[in-house]
Amino acid sequence: MGEICVVVEHRKGEIRDITFEMLSKARELCRPFSHRLTALVLAGKEAGLANGLTKWADRVVVFEDDRLETFNADLYKDILNRFIQKDRPFMTLMGHTSWGMDLAPALSVKTGLPLATDCVDIQAKDGRPMVVRQIYSGKLFSRVSFKESSGYLITVRPGAFLPPDAEPGSEGEVVKQEVPADLAEPRKAFVEFVETGAGEIDITQADLLVSIGRGVGEEENIATIRELADRMGATLSCSRPVVDKNWLPKFHQVGTSGKSVRPKVYLALGISGAFQHVAGITGAGTVIAVNKDRKAPIFRVADYGVADDLFKVADALKEKLAGA
Amino acid sequence: MNIIVCIKRVPMTQEVDLEIDGKGKGIKTEALAYVINDWDNYCIEEAVRLQESFGGSVTAITIGSEDDEEILRRALAMGADKAVRIDPGALELDGFVVSNILKKAIQGMDYDLVFTGVQADDDNGGMVGIMLAEALGLSHAAVVTGVEPEGDAAVIRVELEGGTDEISKIRLPSLLTIQTGINEPRYVSIMGIRKARKKELTVIPVADLGLSEEDLTPRTRIEEVFLPPETTGAEMIEGDAASVAAQLIKIIKEKGVNI
Amino acid sequence: MSLNYPADAVYLGLPGWVYAWVISIAGLSLFAYIIYKRSFLIRSAAPDPRFAHMGKRLLDLLLYGVIQKRQPRYLWAGVIHLMIFWGFVVLGLRSIDLVTQGLNIPILHPLMETGFGLFYNTLKDIFELIVLGACIWAILRRALIRPERYEGSHHWEAYLVLGLISFLMLTDMFYEGAGLLLEPSGSTGWLPASQGAALILRGSDPLFLARVHAASYWLHILTFFFFLNFLPLGKHFHIITALPNVFFKRLSTGGIKPARWDVEDIDELDSMGVEKVEDFTWKHILDFYTCTECGRCSDNCPANSVGRPLSPKMLTMKLRDHCFNTVPLFGKKQEDRSEEDGPVLVGDIVSHDEIWSCTTCGACEAECPVFIEYIDKIIDMRRHLIETSQNPKTFNQVLMHVEKTGNPFGKPAAKRADWVGECGDLPVKRLKEGDAVDVLFFVDGYGSYDPAGQSIACDMVRAFNKGGIDFGILGPLEKDSGHQVRRMGEEGLFQLLMEENMETLKEIQFNRIVTTDPHAFNTLKNDYPGSFRVMHYAEFFAALLDEGRLKPSNPLDGQGVYTYHDPCYLGRHNGIYDAPRRLLGAIPGLNLVEMKRSRDRSFCCGGGDVMLWHEIEQEEMRMAAKRIEMAREAGANVIVTACPFCYIHFEDAVKTGGWEDEMRVVDLMRLLVSTLD
Repeated sequence: MGEICVVVEHRKGEIRDITFEMLSKARELCRPFSHRLTALVLAGKEAGLANGLTKWADRVVVFEDDRLETFNADLYKDILNRFIQKDRPFMTLMGHTSWGMDLAPALSVKTGLPLATDCVDIQAKDGRPMVVRQIYSGKLFSRVSFKESSGYLITVRPGAFLPPDAEPGSEGEVVKQEVPADLAEPRKAFVEFVETGAGEIDITQADLLVSIGRGVGEEENIATIRELADRMGATLSCSRPVVDKNWLPKFHQVGTSGKSVRPKVYLALGISGAFQHVAGITGAGTVIAVNKDRKAPIFRVADYGVADDLFKVADALKEKLAGA
Repeated sequence: MNIIVCIKRVPMTQEVDLEIDGKGKGIKTEALAYVINDWDNYCIEEAVRLQESFGGSVTAITIGSEDDEEILRRALAMGADKAVRIDPGALELDGFVVSNILKKAIQGMDYDLVFTGVQADDDNGGMVGIMLAEALGLSHAAVVTGVEPEGDAAVIRVELEGGTDEISKIRLPSLLTIQTGINEPRYVSIMGIRKARKKELTVIPVADLGLSEEDLTPRTRIEEVFLPPETTGAEMIEGDAASVAAQLIKIIKEKGVNI
Repeated sequence: MSLNYPADAVYLGLPGWVYAWVISIAGLSLFAYIIYKRSFLIRSAAPDPRFAHMGKRLLDLLLYGVIQKRQPRYLWAGVIHLMIFWGFVVLGLRSIDLVTQGLNIPILHPLMETGFGLFYNTLKDIFELIVLGACIWAILRRALIRPERYEGSHHWEAYLVLGLISFLMLTDMFYEGAGLLLEPSGSTGWLPASQGAALILRGSDPLFLARVHAASYWLHILTFFFFLNFLPLGKHFHIITALPNVFFKRLSTGGIKPARWDVEDIDELDSMGVEKVEDFTWKHILDFYTCTECGRCSDNCPANSVGRPLSPKMLTMKLRDHCFNTVPLFGKKQEDRSEEDGPVLVGDIVSHDEIWSCTTCGACEAECPVFIEYIDKIIDMRRHLIETSQNPKTFNQVLMHVEKTGNPFGKPAAKRADWVGECGDLPVKRLKEGDAVDVLFFVDGYGSYDPAGQSIACDMVRAFNKGGIDFGILGPLEKDSGHQVRRMGEEGLFQLLMEENMETLKEIQFNRIVTTDPHAFNTLKNDYPGSFRVMHYAEFFAALLDEGRLKPSNPLDGQGVYTYHDPCYLGRHNGIYDAPRRLLGAIPGLNLVEMKRSRDRSFCCGGGDVMLWHEIEQEEMRMAAKRIEMAREAGANVIVTACPFCYIHFEDAVKTGGWEDEMRVVDLMRLLVSTLD
């Protein structure tokens, strides 16, 4: 029987959303071929993570060991390799996250299985998967095929798939497996987590966000947008390039490496809509984007769009608000 | 502290409207300008800084044609000591093949750290670095935003999702994929790049590396490229700035935000 | 007067002339030694060709050195200085006379016995009083009025020297006065100073008079040699170096010096720009020596007035002091310093922010009475900073964009001519190799890619059409002119752009180049080699106006009060003040007022050059905002610009300041085209 495996990503005792997104897609892929869907959990002893997963998989295989409490590429790589060699799953999915990027390529070399990364769609055709990826920072899509192999590795872009909504009928079984005794000594040791998003303002609590991107041009232009935000009673936020240039502190950053926000309205000014940013606003009520470039990717995800110079629009907004 | 930096030359596409080429598997490149991959620029800067603090040498490697030597010269101008270009000829490349070529080239060298960028601006693959690490048998970490060597190990900072960083200690030699923002890369002037011509740049045809046919066979292939579908997308609001502003204010108020 | 008096008088058994010789030899030897030490840096500095156009140099020396044409720009200070300067010129002869008398070789005596001598004595006396008066006025002015531009200058030195000069005047007066009383002779003519002193001394007994006579003489001589040797120690070195400095001044404006004058191919250079003080040219070192600490430069520096750390005066003073410390008069010279020992020029002696604060507007150079140059030096220092990666990181992306796409925005080169589509149906010829055209319209980056610049370019297209001009653009063949790039210090990239543009220009036949932008105009005219004719649009369309080919006929509504802002690179650097005013004057119904600071005293808008890409933290208010203030003070409600940078910066300032109801910004081209039918 064919099998699709999903490597569960968790942090500080909580399963990350990407895991559920992958399980949902994997279930969809399993159905037509009656494959078995297995969730693979590598976690610390008594983590109890399996319970949250049984609804969404046919089988939850658990490796519990205190050494596995926090992701470690060497250990995960070793355990997963052995599992894959034994079980020979058709497809193994991992999240395209920092940890996923550390794991999947190494696992690919170790197992000898081909890998496609950061996929936004997966199909199975003639016994082989076909994936869709974005290239040129989202300006283009590519359809990618694999060389014939006994198994395939895929990393999945967070947010590309929706988490499962319908409650399934059955519950999967939990299978505890022994962590191999001869695991090699890991060459990396976890020290601690550090919160970088902390700051005076919590953008995740705002109802209205005025967000700036590279389109703002220079640091000195931020002042006029700040004025707009103040006048609207909104909170100022931004995309990554603004923080990389040290124009705003990190706690303003929205996106995969920043914060996920869910305001009622998100006003994106001069933001192109790079995936990493857009991933942070999936929870927003209404997204309004202003960008000079009519073809900017942001307009694909926004609810309303204005293809114009953001400063013109910002000034007009300030004027209207002053008048009204 | 000897460091190897793997770099790539990519097209500048930010302001460009991409056009799909005749074969439908790539883009038209004639009007494009090429630069060093942004992530890789940070790698070179980080390597040079470590060399300035700890001594040792920095070697920059790329796989490409003679045009790609430009980024090697830039790396040398920034402070790298040696550069190597591997000429792939007409080989079809994917992440797997690239990592194998790099492995063969690097295998015999003396190093404590290997840096690659988290991903390349063109294919956004994000896999070559860690594949290379595994092929070389090195410890590894991805999306690194801080490196502090401590004897035979290094304390590293990895950027995770959602505003959290992870600090760990990793044993050297190690391969790290470097994230943007780790430092502020220095400027290199035209004159500086010209002067770098004096530094060593070796060209190795890929055939000289003696890779097996299997190692040079891509494991994934692009079947076609296509422009993003014109999906529902945003409802565009047209008109002059004043009327646009009025409409936006109306929308915002309708969505329950009092402004 | 007594012949050979001081020479023959006997003191402590020795005749006066012995003492005179000792003092003179000692004084002159010390002076020669000091000058020798000071000349060391000049001799080991970089070369600078300043020996051509001797005729023009002499003329300028006359105009600016002797007549001191720039002095009265600050009226009273200028008047005082002229008084003292002319005093020195006239009294020089007197000093030689006095010294040679003491040396017992009174060579000037025959001359002084003639009618000229009588005339001269009167003249000298008058001037002694003038100088004395000027010195007292100067002391009081400095102490009581305290002009702001003197802040940071060495006041003690000023007072000392004014005191010394006054003392020299007084000692000569009393020497002469006592002499008159001791040996009255009939035919002395009118000697107001000496006779005045005599009046004071009248009634004193001869012995006292004799003592006064002698003391005045020897004090005068001693003070003279002390003063002579004091000059090279501080700002009064200018008394010696100013005239040479003016003689060797820059004759051309607008362009930047090459990396090194004696090296044509910059690839041959080991290092670029100024790292240590010896990397400056000899003329620059002479500049440092010549600073009078008058502060007129800083007073006019726009960066300084908005709170940036740059004060041109302080820059020169610091570098002068550094020169003095590098080759001290006594003690070891700082031998070939490496980076480790000794202070770093940019970093320790002057700060990075000072160097990057400059907008290269040239106000300092236009003001300096002794023609000290600033821009070349600052650019030279920037060149070194760029080469050693010490530039602000914000430059990196801009320079990379210019290198890769030929424009600072990073927009594709292929789209450089897309703006033409915005001009409606007007035909715009696209030039290629082998084409011939009358006017080559060099659009440059802002005209091609920035909306404000593009609209100016479109207006130019309209005006070209109205005037029936045969013109064309280069489109993607055109690369950034390199003006800002050169002034940021990236000389290598500038040369690259220049070479590429020259290659293109060589292949096309044209009569003249017309630019949208004063920066492109400036660099094509003054930095690029070759002798093609370049004009800014203001000159070009003013010429069409003169020929009658352009007729502004639609009158304005008379509501606006217009004022014209002279852009730095059109006005100050290239002397084009009248052409734009002629254009404005031809527009019916245009009410034009002039700002107080106009023409070569125009105040930089802060645009162009590095300021677009680097924030200086200490800045209190934007230059553009300050300039809008000046426009308002002049009673204007419309400010007319002739440069896209000025336009953008003023628009920005109006928006930021919320002055949309009080001030409009309009480009000259737009204004002109709106009145054509």
